[in-house]
Amino acid sequence: MRKLFLTAALSVALMGGAAPTVLAQNSLVATINANPNNLWPAKATIGEEYNIAVLVYNGLVRITPDLKFEPDLAESWESNEDATVWTFKLRKGVKFHHGKEFKAEDVIKTFELIGSKEVASRAKSHTDLIAKMEAPDDYTVRFTLTEPYGGWAELMIERQLKMVPSDRTLEQLTNEPIGTGPFKFVSYQPGDKVVLEKNPDYFEKGLPKLDRITLRIMPEDAVKIAALQAGDVDLVWNLPLEAIEQFKDTKGITVDQKPTATWDGFVLNNSIPPFNDMRVRQAVYKAIDKRQLVEFAVFGHGAPTHSPIPPTHPFFNKDISFEPDIAGAKKLLAEAGYPKGFKITIHAPAGRPTRERSAVALQQMLKNVGIDAQVERIPYNRWGATISGKVPFYMDGYFARPTLDTSTYPWFHSQGSWNTRMWHYKSERMDAILDKARGTVDPEEQKKLYTEFQKVVVEEVPGVVMYSQNFVTAYKDKLKGYTTHPYLWMDLRTAHFE
Amino acid sequence: MFGYLLQRLLYIFVIVAVMSVLIFWITQIMPGNVAYMILGDFAGMDQILALEQKLGLHDPIHVQYWRWAQGLLQFDLGDSLIMERPIAPILFDAIGNSAILALSSIGLVALVGIWLGVYSAIHHGKAGDHIVSLATYVTLAVPEFFWCVLLIILFVGYLGWFPATGYTSLSEGFFVWAQHLILPVVALVMGLMAHVSRLTRSSMLEVMHSQYVLAARAKGVPEGLVIRRHALRNALLPTITVLAIDVGVLMGGIVVVETIFSYPGLGRLLIFAIQQMDVPLIQACLIVVTIVYAVANLLADILYTFLNPRIRYGSSVNG
Amino acid sequence: MALPSMASAPRRRPLPASLVWGAGIFAFVLFIAVAGPFLAPFDYDQMNILKRMQAPSAVHWFGTDEFGRDVFSRVLYGARLSIAMGIGATMISLAIGVPLGLIAGYYRGWPEEAIMRGVDVLISIPPIMLGLLILAVTTPSVWKSALAVGVIYVPIMVRLTRSVCLEVMGEEFVEAAKARGERGWYILFSEILPNAWPPIIVETALRVTFAIMLGAALSFLGLGVQPPASDWGLMIAEARPFIHQAPWIAVAPGIALVITVIAINLLGDGLREILDPRMKRDRL
Repeated sequence: MRKLFLTAALSVALMGGAAPTVLAQNSLVATINANPNNLWPAKATIGEEYNIAVLVYNGLVRITPDLKFEPDLAESWESNEDATVWTFKLRKGVKFHHGKEFKAEDVIKTFELIGSKEVASRAKSHTDLIAKMEAPDDYTVRFTLTEPYGGWAELMIERQLKMVPSDRTLEQLTNEPIGTGPFKFVSYQPGDKVVLEKNPDYFEKGLPKLDRITLRIMPEDAVKIAALQAGDVDLVWNLPLEAIEQFKDTKGITVDQKPTATWDGFVLNNSIPPFNDMRVRQAVYKAIDKRQLVEFAVFGHGAPTHSPIPPTHPFFNKDISFEPDIAGAKKLLAEAGYPKGFKITIHAPAGRPTRERSAVALQQMLKNVGIDAQVERIPYNRWGATISGKVPFYMDGYFARPTLDTSTYPWFHSQGSWNTRMWHYKSERMDAILDKARGTVDPEEQKKLYTEFQKVVVEEVPGVVMYSQNFVTAYKDKLKGYTTHPYLWMDLRTAHFE
Repeated sequence: MFGYLLQRLLYIFVIVAVMSVLIFWITQIMPGNVAYMILGDFAGMDQILALEQKLGLHDPIHVQYWRWAQGLLQFDLGDSLIMERPIAPILFDAIGNSAILALSSIGLVALVGIWLGVYSAIHHGKAGDHIVSLATYVTLAVPEFFWCVLLIILFVGYLGWFPATGYTSLSEGFFVWAQHLILPVVALVMGLMAHVSRLTRSSMLEVMHSQYVLAARAKGVPEGLVIRRHALRNALLPTITVLAIDVGVLMGGIVVVETIFSYPGLGRLLIFAIQQMDVPLIQACLIVVTIVYAVANLLADILYTFLNPRIRYGSSVNG
Repeated sequence: MALPSMASAPRRRPLPASLVWGAGIFAFVLFIAVAGPFLAPFDYDQMNILKRMQAPSAVHWFGTDEFGRDVFSRVLYGARLSIAMGIGATMISLAIGVPLGLIAGYYRGWPEEAIMRGVDVLISIPPIMLGLLILAVTTPSVWKSALAVGVIYVPIMVRLTRSVCLEVMGEEFVEAAKARGERGWYILFSEILPNAWPPIIVETALRVTFAIMLGAALSFLGLGVQPPASDWGLMIAEARPFIHQAPWIAVAPGIALVITVIAINLLGDGLREILDPRMKRDRL
């Protein structure tokens, strides 16, 4: 009898103990699509790496899902009159995961590293604007810039500009991520998963709510969709746009879609025939129907646009038509000396479905004006060495950038970092507009300039931005406190399960 | 037998050495600039030159090869260019995961394949034989990647019986772990099982009509004994050769299956390395694959020799 | 092809059913491969956004794909590349592999050593790896795929031929020929080869199917045919994201592939029944 009682008591105790842990799920499994190769944000180049940057690190400024800039590691900031000197006041008492306190020295070291040649960071073009960095005290950093730059504070949300501790070696920074972020790095099995756990000393009280995050690397779309349906994973990051439809009637799963400034386009190399002739570029532009491309490539989950400025932006130029003009295109081609069109190869990156699909669709559209295009898919490994900036016609696309200037200048200014690598487009008219826009702080003036900018883009056709695409995450309904971020990263600070 | 073994081991060493030269040479002519790959789009020419100098890329190719081969001999596989971390731990994780897939598959193929083959040979012309033959005809004709697609459509999409991802760690429980393995293993073994079964059946039939089996029967040896002692042993010879070759086919299958089921093994690592042009990683993966495959072939050779004394190496059977 | 056993036996038996069916279906597939573009109801790259991912219907027998292209037409077009790749590759491996295997098996000694060690090296890369490696360093194309697959199977052909040759050499009639003092070449081609054919032919049929499948697998991994052209492997690869919504896009080319492979297997087995003298003796 006593034994029986004991057993009963034990089982009650066990059940009582077990029940809450079963109810309150505290760890989250999310899928990412590719192997994050660099865990140090300074070297990050792909969305998967940006996710880790946001989860493990902080920048000085951050952007909310409804696109408001707010303080992160900086408490406040101000600039002088002509936007050449920027002073950031840092948050006090923030600790890195290894215990060191976050101070001005870390900010300066971070920017020095990003600007250094050995690191060769994508964000070096930003730090090149810095003439001088000073730390008047441990919690103040002052940047003196080489030229007036109105968007400097907003630029601080850039993915690579995440604060790292100044007391670590390059090798440690590369292999053992240490940040101030809501989650601490636990382990990384390349090709398999990245595991993160809660940072109990995170500076925002009560956050994060999750104990553990596992990022599973799952490139195969059909598999991760099935895994979400089966409950193996809780959150699918960057759900392929073609999969949205099939979740329409699925119970228990939320599909959350946001328009973004992330764009796909194609590069026409302005420095080699046939695209060194502006008329040929204009003909190509007139031959294509961007609205159809949106349907084909992103299944309607996006919007045609003229430049990296998306239709959701207040400065978007609504006066420009998307109507193709086949007759006009043929006329231009004839004028340029190609009355019967020409043969060309469209290079598309293998494994980037939206761009592969647009390439195939473009091929059909160009047929209408006599251009005989072949599609060749090139694995991404060969892209940089053999395609990017080297062939006349290839598909490309870029993530949303923090500011209008960083979204436009690098591609369209004759000195722009991407332009000089890809399009080789030179236009004094364009340079004047972009230079002026960069130094302007008046929104009305800016609007005028960027509206004009879009007009020049479709008139001179440096290359073609086809559409801005939506970003989607799909997750279990019981995941609360999470919303899809238009900057394509997972902000999981407030996420929790019900 | 011992001398023969030693000789075969020496062969393996030579083959791996020859292969290492081949692999090194082929991966050297891969397009794409190594230093450029590491530094990315925004590297200047001076940085690229400096890094090339540091990596010793300006040395003659045989010097580079020798440096690499010496590392190999000391189990130093170098660093991944893309991930900037040592290859060895990454590779060992991947090998472990693939080994689980491969061993369960090859075991299943050998057991079920041979059994099915023998079964249908013994029941030649009867209903059982026809059913097995029909089933193997169909399964043999379906490539691994189509198996994957079919299995996912059927068992994951419509029925929802199995998870679609081929992998969880053992720590999540044996049952969960095994459940995740089922679909990838099935996709891997279907074709091979049919292949082995058909081959066993055909050589079994051949042997069962041979003079000495007929003679044994005529002598009144019981049928079961005829099959076990006389027929099976000889019939298995070609099967074993094929089984070793099938290890290679299996490795090919693993590349596809791991890719589709998002299984973090060697095959996916190799595809990843090729996609990313991570030359040291490609070299390391291929060397490992070569060694595994050479060992599988050695095992087959030993078995073959063991079962067929007529062609035992080292003895003079030249007539 | 020398077939002394066929010539010597007065044959009035009907052909095996597998041969008839296999040859019939395969001939049909070949016909499609040649005439596909004329038979196809639609252009293989004709896109139509309004008809995207439609289920099979009277107009679109196998439905439409993510571009609204007719899957049936694309399957017909795909036949050509898939089959050309399979047969081409096998012919390459047969032409190189069989002579080498016979020489190695019969002469033993140094020719065997030389050939088999070469084979050892080639065979020590598993099939798909060699293909991946070749195609990774060059730009992918159909013909490179075929060549890669062909070279991959040479060692298998050599080993099989050699092992069959060794087996046949144990037979009495070879001993008898040797005792008669026949020359090596005579024994090799008149005594051994005719008796070595059956397993080689069975294996060749298997190889064609394996080559078709390996070629498709390489295309599936993006290393063969380039879009918008299509072979069956690439069609299935491209349909992967849609297999839950529109399974027909992947299943139709897959079934075409399977039927083709089954037909060739039947053909191979049928040939085996005719060509193997011992089997025939048994049946009579």
